[in-house]
Amino acid sequence: MHRNWCVAGLAALLAVGTGLLAAGQKGFAASAQQKPATAEVKIDNFSFSPNELTIPAGTTVTWTNRDDIPHTVVSSDDPKAFKSKVMDTDEKFSFTFSKPGTYPYFCSVHPKMVGKVVVQ
Amino acid sequence: MFNQGFLGTAAPFIADLILLLEIAMGVGLLAGAWLAHKKRFRQHAWCQSGVVLLNLAVITLVMLPSFHARALPKIPVRLGKAYYALATAHGILGIIAEIAALYILMSAGTHLLPEKARIIRYKSWMRGTLALWWVALLLGITTYARWYAPHFF
Repeated sequence: MHRNWCVAGLAALLAVGTGLLAAGQKGFAASAQQKPATAEVKIDNFSFSPNELTIPAGTTVTWTNRDDIPHTVVSSDDPKAFKSKVMDTDEKFSFTFSKPGTYPYFCSVHPKMVGKVVVQ
Repeated sequence: MFNQGFLGTAAPFIADLILLLEIAMGVGLLAGAWLAHKKRFRQHAWCQSGVVLLNLAVITLVMLPSFHARALPKIPVRLGKAYYALATAHGILGIIAEIAALYILMSAGTHLLPEKARIIRYKSWMRGTLALWWVALLLGITTYARWYAPHFF
């Protein structure tokens, strides 16, 4: 009789433990899925790097100015999809691309600097 | 594309245009001084007045808005950087030179100023202002190089 109770207790503990483990894995997977996608573009030596970036919709792109002079990031579209302020060295600008499409952009201080974001 | 410049630097079209225009104005003032030296005072007056008024328009319409948008928000915090220091020095000296030139213009060419406020020693004022103008111009050229052609530095 006593042995039966022990077996039943162990089985119950095992079931609860397995359930908790499964729930934890689900939660981890869900949190991994919910974490927003990000991408980086570096501004240095009068160029955007990478010059062309392909990302899934919903991705947040962050431009960081690593140059020793100020730059901007301005959408070439009309109306402008995004437009940063003048970014000094190490300053950043972020924009979340929610709709698929091609987004060309440039630096308004140095118009020869151009780049493109392709949102799939 | 995007109003790119034509001097082969990273500058936009308007910056290249203003650079050449300012150099032309500086040369124009030297030509005007030569006219005064040759006693051709009427042509001298027209030449210098045209340059001073044209420069006033350039300062008001192009330079001040550009400085306000690109440099002023970082001043005085980043004045230690050549990018901002050169632009600020150029701006301050340029405005002093322009005000001095307008003062000469109003003293010599109009009756807007009261008798007591008019210049007596024209030659000194004109020569001093011309020298200051050229210092501001050279600082402007250096500012252009720092902003749009930093590989020179």
